Amino acid sequence: MPLFRAVSNRLHYFMAVPAIVLFALFFIYPLTQGIGISLTDSNGVTQPNFIGLQNFLDFFHDDRAKTDIFNTVFFALGSAPLLNLFGFLYALVLDRTFKGKSVVRALVYLPAVISPLIMGYVWYFILQPGRGFLFHILESMGLKGGNWLAEANSAIVVLILVNVWQFVGMTMIIYLAGLQSIPKELYEAAEIDGAGSGKKLRYITIPMLVQSIKINVVTNIIGSLSVFEIIIALTDGGPGYSTESLSIYILRMLYGSFTGYSTAVAMILFVMIVIPVFVFMRFIRKQEFEM
Amino acid sequence: MKSTRNLWIYAPVAVMALLSLIPFYILLYLSLNTPSRTMFDGVLMLPDFHFANYVEAWKSSKIGTATVNSLIITVGGVAIIVAASSMAGYAIARYSNKFHAVLFNTLLICMMIPAIIITVPLYSLMKSIGGINTHWAMILLMASNGLPFAVFLYTGFIKGLPREVEESAIIDGCTPFTAFWRVTFHFLRPVTAAVVILQGLAVWNNYGQAVFFLQRESMRTIPLAVSMFFQQYGAQWNLMAAASVIGLAPAVAAFLLFQKYFIKGITAGAVKG
Repeated sequence: MPLFRAVSNRLHYFMAVPAIVLFALFFIYPLTQGIGISLTDSNGVTQPNFIGLQNFLDFFHDDRAKTDIFNTVFFALGSAPLLNLFGFLYALVLDRTFKGKSVVRALVYLPAVISPLIMGYVWYFILQPGRGFLFHILESMGLKGGNWLAEANSAIVVLILVNVWQFVGMTMIIYLAGLQSIPKELYEAAEIDGAGSGKKLRYITIPMLVQSIKINVVTNIIGSLSVFEIIIALTDGGPGYSTESLSIYILRMLYGSFTGYSTAVAMILFVMIVIPVFVFMRFIRKQEFEM
Repeated sequence: MKSTRNLWIYAPVAVMALLSLIPFYILLYLSLNTPSRTMFDGVLMLPDFHFANYVEAWKSSKIGTATVNSLIITVGGVAIIVAASSMAGYAIARYSNKFHAVLFNTLLICMMIPAIIITVPLYSLMKSIGGINTHWAMILLMASNGLPFAVFLYTGFIKGLPREVEESAIIDGCTPFTAFWRVTFHFLRPVTAAVVILQGLAVWNNYGQAVFFLQRESMRTIPLAVSMFFQQYGAQWNLMAAASVIGLAPAVAAFLLFQKYFIKGITAGAVKG
């Protein structure tokens, strides 16, 4: 009994252990292995040879990879700012008191509940030329719709808009949570001092939302740079490779048994995500200190 | 006076609600049409209420098996996430030392790593532990994916809880460990709701990893079953839509059930923490 007591008294020192074990086994270990694999010519079948940084050098002469980097970055530069802008505007509107506000909040969040893959298929149907929903709407208004998904330039814009549509509710919820934790007295005090709504937004709302902005920007950078399902469902990377993202390229190389190369591209994608996130965190920390 | 001043708000709100709902309407519309009517004819946008699609989709896509698989993996994964990350969050928030600080920062960095990056080494790991096409390995994998964000939420939330919550229980003879499970854990309800929704959906909708580790037909989850449908059966939109509706219904139901606590949990765990 005293032994049991002694053990159970110290149990709280080990409360993080299950999480650590799980995470080390299924995340950290594969990650370190991955760094090793990216330095080989592994094809997943025969014995791999160590080839140093060859995969990484190959990557910079790979035209398809260049297109994919461009697509991925373009997609992220479109998605992340639009998501934050609309998420913020949505939150401002839904923070007001009106009848049925919790129903509307749930509705706006609903698209994020559904698998991006399934929602991608639905949007594919909507945008189909000649028979889709949008075609008939435009036709009834006397307009003509194009085959947006078949042309490289418009296809990537469509992908950005569908992504924003799907995850705007997610961004909205985080901003809404931030808005609701701002003490109302701050606004009252500002009103007494004669501040208009523009000034209140600039000097109270936005600075008080730093934590929400941080979470949203970081998740949007990560999410949009690793975009995958929406593209699979809507364009499958086409036409040609014009809408293929790096994540899809990694998967395709994997299926094509270019295991070592695929892992190297995966490491490059990781760096592409970490750099902007760290730059942003640096930037926002500065803003916090100035406040 | 006040009511007229607030009337303007219904215009943007209506647009937002409509924008979110249109694709759902189209999905339902398609799923209830007869096979011959897979396109919109003009302005008449009422479906034929052809419920036979659901029966046929259920039979031909084996979406029933897929739903059971998705349920097992989601419930198992979320249970492990909640247990492991609430305990880890408690340890990090209450017993701050160097080790816990390193752990917390490691998890934060790993939040930035998209799962696809470790697919190759993970595949050989899964193979060597016999985890391909099994529920248990997929559950553990999904749990480890969800850990970083869940620990982040729990840590933030527990830091905001007063220590008195468990202190009196410890005075009454609980050990810190049992005090956590008997007392503190009950105070974590809002953040647990947020974790259950966010991680439950992430597991339920996971496609990128399921496609690798659940290749056998009998092990397919819903996203896999629906994507098979799209790849194999050409243009039978009505059946595909019915299969999709069956697949997303449980997720929508669970979300509506938990969403009341959701904002509360996010506010307390992520935004204040």
